[in-house]
Amino acid sequence: MSQTLLISGPPGCGKTTWILNQIQSHPGPCGFLRLVGYPDEGLLQARDGGIDLVWLQDQCPGLLDLADPDKALAPRAAKLLALIELPQFQPPTDSGLAGVDRRAIPQLEALHLSPDAHLHFGRDAALPHQDTLDFSSLQAWGRNLAGAVWDPASLSSFWFELVNGAYGDVYRAKALMNLPDGRAFFCNWMVSREGSQFLPLQTLASPDGRPQRLSRLVVQGKDLDPAAIEVTLADCLLSDAVLELQQAPLRQRKAPPHPSPAA
Amino acid sequence: MTHAVISCLHANLAALEAVLDDIDQRGITTITCLGDLVGYGPQPNEVVNLVRERAIPSCQGCWDEDIIEGLNSCECSYPSQLAERRGHQAHQWTAEQLSEENKAFLASLPMSLRRDRLLFVHGSPNSQHEYLLPDMDAFAALERVQTADADTLFCGHTHRPYVRELRDGVIRVRVQAPTDPQSPAEREMALPVRRIVNAGSVGEPRHGNTHATYVIHDEATGNVEIREVPYDVERTCRAIVEVGLPPVFAWRLRHGFEYAERADDASHVCER
Amino acid sequence: MARWALVSGLQGDLALYEAIQRDLRQLARVDTLFVLGDLIGPDRDANALLARLQDPRRGELAPQCIYGWWEEQLLAERGYRGERRADPLRQQFGQAAVEALEQAVDPGHLAWLAALQFGFIELDCALLHGSSAAVDDSLGPDSSPLLLLDRLTRMDVNRLFTARSGQQFRLELSGGGIESQVRDLEGQRQHQQSVPQRQVIGIGAGVRYTLYDPGSDRLDFLVAGSRPQQRARGFA
Repeated sequence: MSQTLLISGPPGCGKTTWILNQIQSHPGPCGFLRLVGYPDEGLLQARDGGIDLVWLQDQCPGLLDLADPDKALAPRAAKLLALIELPQFQPPTDSGLAGVDRRAIPQLEALHLSPDAHLHFGRDAALPHQDTLDFSSLQAWGRNLAGAVWDPASLSSFWFELVNGAYGDVYRAKALMNLPDGRAFFCNWMVSREGSQFLPLQTLASPDGRPQRLSRLVVQGKDLDPAAIEVTLADCLLSDAVLELQQAPLRQRKAPPHPSPAA
Repeated sequence: MTHAVISCLHANLAALEAVLDDIDQRGITTITCLGDLVGYGPQPNEVVNLVRERAIPSCQGCWDEDIIEGLNSCECSYPSQLAERRGHQAHQWTAEQLSEENKAFLASLPMSLRRDRLLFVHGSPNSQHEYLLPDMDAFAALERVQTADADTLFCGHTHRPYVRELRDGVIRVRVQAPTDPQSPAEREMALPVRRIVNAGSVGEPRHGNTHATYVIHDEATGNVEIREVPYDVERTCRAIVEVGLPPVFAWRLRHGFEYAERADDASHVCER
Repeated sequence: MARWALVSGLQGDLALYEAIQRDLRQLARVDTLFVLGDLIGPDRDANALLARLQDPRRGELAPQCIYGWWEEQLLAERGYRGERRADPLRQQFGQAAVEALEQAVDPGHLAWLAALQFGFIELDCALLHGSSAAVDDSLGPDSSPLLLLDRLTRMDVNRLFTARSGQQFRLELSGGGIESQVRDLEGQRQHQQSVPQRQVIGIGAGVRYTLYDPGSDRLDFLVAGSRPQQRARGFA
């Protein structure tokens, strides 16, 4: 029997990690949808820009994209586990399905999705307990990094500065970043957890120019300084000439390299 | 005689003033500076002027050299593209600010200073760019001091102060010559006791907090004291932003991180 | 395992090079020839040798060359080393030697010489003309063990092959250690370090050359053109 779950919670509470665990332990087919989320008073939702979907599809080959309208009307596979992620700062006022944010309903209906259950981080015991933060006022900033390739050591320095407050009070940062050797990393940091995650994607690009896949940085916090971030980004990203210099020897080697992670 | 050794001032006037006050309060009149008077910090002329006014003997650091000669350190001295770009930005700004007179002063600084069996250098006797880190190979460290014909080597450049004593060293070798391959000659070399003293950094500490560091050496007892001196960090941070250097320099200084990270490879020497 | 032949100091002597190649054809299991610098010198025209090194004859081992002290002097004098000129050569042997060196090499070979490397790293061995410190570093059996250990440490290798001194020798670091005490703002720590089991090997120059078997660590110090009784003089 198929099941459709709506998972909501504030930024950085662990929604995507929980969903990844569900998909990996579900024997049948799985689908995923990330709803945009709705700004509450003074709190801006960060535009994820597809980071979660790309990361989950990389980790779980065959994962269905439930946002694809062409497939919305197609018959759903038996035993499909459909997981819908909804960023939501405040806990729902009503329990169960009655608590689903009304603003999300038209979007769900358009995609022919009707949740069987709604779980919210911090409310439902079925979800792991997290230290949920008090977000009194939150800015969000995102940067499309399509085609951008990082100097690995510079990425490490930039990320260190970013999450330690050099560009404002960052609560949450996540990104997909390209390295010159064809690897990409899912970078993930939240103020409530120790340390950053740098998880390599399974999918490698060939070291042949700029990769075509999605690459994006999303930051949430207070007093963010996007102009200063841009200045640092410009000093971290590789020019065509330097990229070619680093990729040319890799192309001569047949096998893809496996150096240690960037950070 | 008790004397003070300072290093890596990096155009940080507030830090230099605080350290000189600390030295003066102790009644110490002999001070030696191990270079890098400028670079990254906001007051290059003020710091050079103060060193000149106080007539503090200095050797030349890698930054002092680069400001005069133009950037000629190899790219490998920067651990990342970001560090390199920021270094170049700081270099360009500093070169524009420094008066011709102060540039000439930096150009006149010697690579090393010697007083009896004490040798003063910026990086190592081999190069202003070589890092003598506290955990570098003990034999290689001893070789630096021994080849330079000194008992105690004072260096800076790493921005982390330490005192290292190398003793009870011995190396045994077996030598085989083609004329007599079956009976190799054995010999043994007893190594002398030598010391390396790193003076840390006045203007850009990276030992975990923001305090300026320097060392005091008592020649009579051989004792070395590593001094930590708090200073008005915010004064320097404000000046960084006011003069138009990247605000991230102020953030790094305020948190006790170096402006650009050090090179990771302790033994690396630029092939220039 | 196949052996390496290590040669240096040919100084333009094609006849000597051909004699060594003849030796190598007669010796078993030599599959690699390293020429550790000083291909040229002021005493004879080096063009024929340089042409042969770049274009080996059939049946000869193809040489793998690095530059040595004489190449360094010529390249410096011809502007391939920035501001530096052949001042060490000038000081040691005079202006006439500088001119003789320039005479000995056709300018057409300069680009090939300039492309030669400082050294090779093969397995855990560094193959150099002088040392890891400099091309003119002359290491011999009487050099300070501390200095030799430093040169090994700089390259992080277990065997350092050097040619500059012209001597043939094997110097093995066989024991010893050092005590190190570090005090910093975090406290004080003590560390005892042992002398690593490493070797510096002088390969000789000119007629004196060396065979090395990396599999067994066996060395044979040879003289070009002598009969293979030298094999009996080798030692492991």
